Amino acid sequence: MRNLAALVFVGGLAFLLLVIFNQFDFAQAPMVVGQGILMDAPDRVGAANIVTAVVLGYRGIDTLGEISILFAASAAAGLVLGRRRTDARRDPPGGFILRSGVALLFPLMLVVGFYIILHGHLTPGGGFQGGVILAAAFFLPLLARPETPVNHAGLSIVEGGAGAVFILTGLAALLQGGEFLQPLLDNGVLGELVSAGTLPLLYLAVGLKVGAELAGLMARLADVEVDEP
Amino acid sequence: MNTIVLTVVLPLLAAFVVPVLSRVSPLLGRLLGPLTLAYAILLTLQVWLGMEGKPFSIALGGFQPPLGINFYVDRLSLLFTFLTLVTSLLLWPWRNETEPRQYALTLLLAASACGLVLSGDLFNIYVFYELISVASFGLAAATRSGAAFAASLRYLILSGLGSVLVLCGIAIVYLQTGTLNLAQLSQLAPETLNTPLGMSAFALILLGVGVKGELFPVNSWVPEVYAAASSRVSGLLAGLVSKLAVLVIVRLLVLLFQQESALQLMLILGLLGAISGELAAWRAKDMNRMLAFSSIGQLGVIFIAFSIPGKTGLFAGLALSLHHLLVKPALFLLAERWRGSLVGLRGAGLASPVAGGLFVLLALSLVGMPPLPGFWAKFLLFTGLAAQQSVIYQVALGVVLLSIVIEANYLFRVVMNLFQPAGDNSVAVTTDHGWLNLGTTFLLSALLIAGMLLMGPLGAWLEGVAMQAADPVLYFDTVFSVSAIH
Repeated sequence: MRNLAALVFVGGLAFLLLVIFNQFDFAQAPMVVGQGILMDAPDRVGAANIVTAVVLGYRGIDTLGEISILFAASAAAGLVLGRRRTDARRDPPGGFILRSGVALLFPLMLVVGFYIILHGHLTPGGGFQGGVILAAAFFLPLLARPETPVNHAGLSIVEGGAGAVFILTGLAALLQGGEFLQPLLDNGVLGELVSAGTLPLLYLAVGLKVGAELAGLMARLADVEVDEP
Repeated sequence: MNTIVLTVVLPLLAAFVVPVLSRVSPLLGRLLGPLTLAYAILLTLQVWLGMEGKPFSIALGGFQPPLGINFYVDRLSLLFTFLTLVTSLLLWPWRNETEPRQYALTLLLAASACGLVLSGDLFNIYVFYELISVASFGLAAATRSGAAFAASLRYLILSGLGSVLVLCGIAIVYLQTGTLNLAQLSQLAPETLNTPLGMSAFALILLGVGVKGELFPVNSWVPEVYAAASSRVSGLLAGLVSKLAVLVIVRLLVLLFQQESALQLMLILGLLGAISGELAAWRAKDMNRMLAFSSIGQLGVIFIAFSIPGKTGLFAGLALSLHHLLVKPALFLLAERWRGSLVGLRGAGLASPVAGGLFVLLALSLVGMPPLPGFWAKFLLFTGLAAQQSVIYQVALGVVLLSIVIEANYLFRVVMNLFQPAGDNSVAVTTDHGWLNLGTTFLLSALLIAGMLLMGPLGAWLEGVAMQAADPVLYFDTVFSVSAIH
């Protein structure tokens, strides 16, 4: 009976949403803000990747909110998962292929991750994407050798420090008489590595924070006690 | 003036730093949060005195709206920023020495709540709403009992559904108008959102945000979470977070969705919530569940109040919200040592007369006994409802009266029980409420009494707040006059 009610509810909701989406005239949508930003961004922000200009410039406070959401999620998960018994059983170490594969992949992933973060204002990518790759790079050794201790203190320093750098950059602009998160420094030449003012710095902070948070989160999940068979 | 952004940013900064700081020095880690909140309160007061009642808008990052995001600061948003900070400071998890993560989550909740109230951009509001949600999941599960995990999981799933619905609603608004700035939307809305599609966007947002606002069909998480979470967290969720959700809806109603059907939809859901919540509370067998259900009922009444068109509704709704924000956390704090079945509480009031007395005072105000502030708030609601021509508002008047009768019945039943001499079969009741909880409750009750004594000036002032918030033209002019100057 309960399943039937749930099915009716889901069916009804899907039908309603379909009816709503049927009403749209796609590709006809007004682009009030979109057009405005396309005209304004290259000169104002100096980032060759307009998406970055939106993410860190026009909607910088959204990005601050999003990294805070990730932080809240990792803090909440830490609170729930708690500490591990010292005598709990661990997963067995990975095989030869996994271990040598990890040794090969680790430096490559670090390079790719930092490349994507540092070129976030030039090419598609940026702090979030690069940060996830960094997190994966640090999680791989844990898969190969589950008994390696995770340095949670170090991760939390990186996490807190990167978040603080993001906010302090914003506050520096406020102290100089601007608004919070106003881009500082010279825009430079569009398309060069050192350009777009403080945007690359902000993306580096985002990347490190996302990387440290996801790595810590995955390490905690991997650390959950295995049920005794 | 642009220091108001610090009320959002400084608690965020403190939240990022507190886990690291607690490793270095536990004492500093414990002090950082309360000090940050106290400083933010000071900043809010400073801005309040500086603005002289005139609203203003600040463009974050120096990007003028509608391209960038702006914070809109009027008396209403400043009032709720202030209340958010004060409530989080009062309900700070002092007892929790070993777990800096709980400090961080409370700070995140306070920061995002301030951001939600101040923001003038629809998607930015969504981001802060999400942050409130995620922080409250962690706080609800923080007692780490099995019941708390089960309740938080249900809360998480329902909240997730709500977030998706809100996002769909925002997507529809954006597709129809091409902007997310509330001020610009308020100008475009009469042409673009006064359609069935606009109405469906409102319904989606109402249901989605309603999860936190304990709105009728999406409130099934409430009793379990409030029964399992610590009473400080329950107080925060019931007192503060629910009001913020209502505030978002109210802003959208004033600026975007002025059609009558939007108000009627909210009225009907509010009616169902009021009656179902009070009936469930009447049947409830334990203290926290009773308070949770009665909170659903009172939020229903608040939704009813805000669905009265124009300034009257805003005034009545604000008065009810402020009253509930004051009373509900105090009741949850008292209930901390009175958990469990109501029958087992026989004689508890006699055993600790101060706590019992405070409970009676708060219960009387909740029911609406003159001359306590609860009466004036309900009085505003009655006059507002009675002035409406439409039949549905007359029905609402009847339902609200009925809900008050039910509420009075079960609250007095509890009070009678508290002050009856304990029988042989009742369990031993604790007399020790802890000076912290009792002190906080005392402070909140003192504010309630002060509100009663200053009812005249307070009412006039609140009417001014409502008048300013009910004016979409003022909102538009304030936001876009800034770009003209620059």
